[in-house]
Amino acid sequence: MNILVCIKQIIDPEVPVRDFRIDEAKRQAERGSAKLVSNIFCENALETALQLRELSRGSKIVTLSYGPPSAEESLRKAIAMKADGAALVNQEAENPDPLTVARVLAAAARKLGPFDVVMVGREAGDWGAGQTGSLLAEELGMPCVSFVDRIELDGSKLKIRRQTDWGWEFLQCETPIVLTITNDEHNVPRIPKVRDVMMSGRQPLTKLALGDLGLNNPVAEGGYYDVAKLFIPQKESKCEFVVGDTPEQRVESLARGLAKLSGAL
Amino acid sequence: MNDIVVCLFSVCGFEKAAKGLVGEGRRLAARCGGALRVILVGDGAIASEIAPLADSVIVADQAELSEYQPESYLAALTELCKIQKPKAVLLGSDTYSLEAVARLAHRLGGSAVCDGSAVRLDGEKIFVTRQVYGGKAQAEIELKRSPAVVSLRSRSLAPASPQDAPGEVRHVVCTLPPMRTRIIERKVDDPGNVRLEDARVIVAGGRGIGGAEPFSTELRQLADILGAQMAASRAACDAGWVPATWQVGQTGKKVAPELYIAIGVSGASQHMTGVSEAKNIVAINSDPEAPIFKYCSLGMVADYREVIPLLRSKLGLLHK
Amino acid sequence: MNAAEPTRQIYWNVSHVWLMYVLFLPTLAVAMYGVWRRVSQWRQGSPLARFNHPLERIRLLLTQVLAHRRIMRDPFMGLLHGMIFFGFLVLTAATTVVALDADAGIHIMHGQFYLYFQSLTVDIFGGLVLLAVVMAAVRRYVWRPRYLTASNEALGILALLFAIVLSGFLLEGWRIVATNDPWAAWSPLGQLAASLSSKVMSVSTMQQAHAVLWWGHLALSFVFIAWFPYTKMLHVIAGPLNIYTANLDQPGASLKTVDFESGTSLGVNSLGAFTWKDLLDLDACTECGRCTLVCPANTVGKELSPSELILELRSLMHSTRATPGKADGQDTPAPLIGAKEAISPERLWQCTTCGACVEACPVFIEQMPKIVDLRRYLVMEEADFPASMQEAVTSLEAREHPFRGTQATRLTWTEGLEIPSIKDQGNSEVLFWVGCSSALIDRNQKIARATANLLKAAGVQFAILGREEKCCGDPARRIGNEFLFEKLASENIATLNLHRVKKVVTACPHCFNTLKNEYPRLGGEFEVIHHSEFLAQLVHDGRLKPQSTTSKITFHDPCYLGRQNGVLEAPRQILQQISSTGFVEMARNRRNGFCCGGGGGMSFVEEPPTQRVNQERAVEALATGADTLAVACSFCMTMMEDGVNARKGDQNMCVKDISELLWDSVQASETAGSKA
Repeated sequence: MNILVCIKQIIDPEVPVRDFRIDEAKRQAERGSAKLVSNIFCENALETALQLRELSRGSKIVTLSYGPPSAEESLRKAIAMKADGAALVNQEAENPDPLTVARVLAAAARKLGPFDVVMVGREAGDWGAGQTGSLLAEELGMPCVSFVDRIELDGSKLKIRRQTDWGWEFLQCETPIVLTITNDEHNVPRIPKVRDVMMSGRQPLTKLALGDLGLNNPVAEGGYYDVAKLFIPQKESKCEFVVGDTPEQRVESLARGLAKLSGAL
Repeated sequence: MNDIVVCLFSVCGFEKAAKGLVGEGRRLAARCGGALRVILVGDGAIASEIAPLADSVIVADQAELSEYQPESYLAALTELCKIQKPKAVLLGSDTYSLEAVARLAHRLGGSAVCDGSAVRLDGEKIFVTRQVYGGKAQAEIELKRSPAVVSLRSRSLAPASPQDAPGEVRHVVCTLPPMRTRIIERKVDDPGNVRLEDARVIVAGGRGIGGAEPFSTELRQLADILGAQMAASRAACDAGWVPATWQVGQTGKKVAPELYIAIGVSGASQHMTGVSEAKNIVAINSDPEAPIFKYCSLGMVADYREVIPLLRSKLGLLHK
Repeated sequence: MNAAEPTRQIYWNVSHVWLMYVLFLPTLAVAMYGVWRRVSQWRQGSPLARFNHPLERIRLLLTQVLAHRRIMRDPFMGLLHGMIFFGFLVLTAATTVVALDADAGIHIMHGQFYLYFQSLTVDIFGGLVLLAVVMAAVRRYVWRPRYLTASNEALGILALLFAIVLSGFLLEGWRIVATNDPWAAWSPLGQLAASLSSKVMSVSTMQQAHAVLWWGHLALSFVFIAWFPYTKMLHVIAGPLNIYTANLDQPGASLKTVDFESGTSLGVNSLGAFTWKDLLDLDACTECGRCTLVCPANTVGKELSPSELILELRSLMHSTRATPGKADGQDTPAPLIGAKEAISPERLWQCTTCGACVEACPVFIEQMPKIVDLRRYLVMEEADFPASMQEAVTSLEAREHPFRGTQATRLTWTEGLEIPSIKDQGNSEVLFWVGCSSALIDRNQKIARATANLLKAAGVQFAILGREEKCCGDPARRIGNEFLFEKLASENIATLNLHRVKKVVTACPHCFNTLKNEYPRLGGEFEVIHHSEFLAQLVHDGRLKPQSTTSKITFHDPCYLGRQNGVLEAPRQILQQISSTGFVEMARNRRNGFCCGGGGGMSFVEEPPTQRVNQERAVEALATGADTLAVACSFCMTMMEDGVNARKGDQNMCVKDISELLWDSVQASETAGSKA
């Protein structure tokens, strides 16, 4: 089985709120002193792929990123986690829209593939558009299942579990297919062994330009969507703390507050 | 060309979210000077409830669509939307709608946005507001292609009021492709419980709870007294203390309760973005500097283990 | 018998003495083979330089072996061991005297020497040995303290010693009776044996019994000699050797470096990956159990037992063949962790790296560094370690601090204060290294603020690195990820060198230990001072004027400051100034302090509620009746506040860093001064 995992490198989403700044002109977040990390759902996807490879011997995992040169770091980490190969498509434009990204990834997938399973994270921790996987599926003419957390083999098909608002669903799916992956207690990304980290720098990594994919301009005519405005909403904190000299009094005060706010008790 | 389409799935029922969506559709249609067309896929039982609120209800209820399947429902929506040629298509933020949004937009040659909180028209342009960067910022997105396909958090949007004359209800049959994916089993977690998105009161636990057991004992008992549903932050779900379906946040449920009680929840923005529609937030946290206190209207700095038992008895007394 | 000349006939009543010499050869051969086996097992370890500074090493040997310095920390056991040790020295000397007489023709066994030494002294010391052996057996097998293994081998050894000495006295007694020894009074215990025997045995019986028992006594002694290298008796050789080759550096500098270039295994999972000194450690162990007794994890009921770990490693070592490095004909060495007879790894993750085990060991075994070596293998080669520690490590890699979820930045604590950044102030006297725990844990920001305020008040020109500061790397190193540690350390060193930093003051003992002891090897040579030392000096110089209060204060020695780096008095000097009458020590203090439970990555781990090291220490603090528990480490602060809050009940006790106490005190005296 040939598996493609798409990985996005983003600014650490766990930057403390007070350090989060916006570049008004570029309409995106300022990097500041934050580090760049692999998007967690992309890592969940890679972990899911690694576990699938263990089930399906002989499978190969290729990781792919459309990003600036720094994204190589994310791919090297994927290699350290024992992905079989990595490719980086150079991104020069800032903050491309999901359709542009999907087109680039699709072109790269066609070049590096064919793939039986394409996995992406359900959304990115920065913009959280949550569309890339779906659009990629449409570009590749593949079906798409979203919010997947477990995959099993089912003969020549896949048995997939995905999360829903009320629980889970199991789907039987043909390949090739695009899956968007969400987090689960079983797909927490594995920590790479230090030895593998040390070796990852020396493994081959394919570098591609848009021209290599036959794409002069992947952006849709007229654009797909634009960020017209980006701002940090001001929040006034008006938290009332419970009163009371003794713990008992404070709990009493809390109980009254809860009773009032919850309407009827 | 100025019509607004709202897509509903019968399996989701006609609850607060769907009502809010239809309400928003009506308002947009009025501003655009077009009609509101509701496409209902599944079975037509709720069509009569929707009809008074829309200009027409198009029901795709052939036998193959009696049960939700991703590909067949997407195909039906695509076919019907192509016929309608709307300016905008609105969907909810439930699982089935979310997985259809971008694919539908692509097939219609339009642009999609997920998880919007508001839609704004400016002349011919459509802008959607949504939270980004884990809830730390808000963006206004201009959709460049038509139709604009938008999934909205609609629970707190006002429903539409009935028109004088109900819209027409039409039943249609769609051409469905062979399916390459098939849902073979559904598993409902905690059946009989009200869904988190519809819950009026929610008791949520976070990393500060420290383990699985208190969720099923102390927090559950508190929830029972308040008639509340239970939820959790991502930390608690990732640790395996509670099922993933309890997760509220950027990548969990988006809830809109009257009262959200956060216990041992630090208040990271990725969690709070799932609670942004809550009317009131109350927090119990042992850390006086926890960010949660910036979001809540009532707070207590304490170890929940010392508070909950006493709180339950106080609430029990008040109940009498 | 010549009544005028005190002596006795050697080999009286013994025939075929030549048999003794014949039997001695195989005995010696077996013993020497045993010793050779052990030595070759030690030599399968990797190299280590431990023969430098010979004078210091000899001094250590004399104070520990002859003066029993560490052994005497437990006075009762110290006494027992001294009795056995010196008893055996005397008995060996006595036997040597006989051998000199019998084999070398050097006759000194007569006259006053015979009376005072060979008879009286030997009898008394023999009796002490007998008494001590019985007491030791009662302790190990009747009282059965938890930290002592009640092994069959130890029982066998004690029984053998008892039998040898007892048979010696019987022989002496029977000889006294049968030869009508005129000097019997000089051998009081022999005389006692004589009179007791006389009650039940006739003289001729005694003489016959003597002839037989003499060979029995010889056989037991030879068994002892042959057997000793195969048991913990080897500590007689291995112990002093181990002391001689002990780690002379501060305990805080005791972790080894890892060679990332050579391609050998990272960390230790085979005997060959340990150093020869590590393996010698294993044979020096006398199963005294003191390391386990002082281990904080063991004390609160966790599975970890340093002595058990050492003994398990020892039995793995002893089961290797004489040709080390080969197991089952393969070249891959047998694994130490996980495999059937090997060590179960869960215990390794309960260690706080406090070093109490190393400090307690009378033969200077280094238990804790071995735990870190084994951790290194699990972390770096297998990526197999607890999830909570994984989170800390992942955060270190992504964010350069281990506290995922913190909303603070490296500068949050400076809000409202004017703290110069090193970028803007190039000519600072000192760099104030804040540390992750102080900067990013909300409660602990008060420590950074108090320290900065004190430095300002004293007029010290200081600066901070601010956002350029990264985690010193201590959590990574102690958890076992040496690779990440070296990465963080190298980056910090580059930053410090770029800003030409010479002198560093830090409030965190972990940062203190790491920067002082572990950075120099990576190119970071700075003068590193803990804030307690620096502030104590400022107070001493009159640059800070604290005011005395009436509060009753006790102090918790941070393991990384006190035991591992010997900084014991500076915090006390400050506290004495603050509370002139009310300073009280906890039962376990200074080098004997009990860990707060936060080191070794343990502050990231959720312990079972009944097995919390911090609560154990909190109970001890509360027992002093103090109203304030002073700490000098932000990890101790977090752990002890939790512990004290959990256990204090109605008692009033707050936990404060010495910087907070000193700042309050300095401010109070200023207010008082301004009111005057």
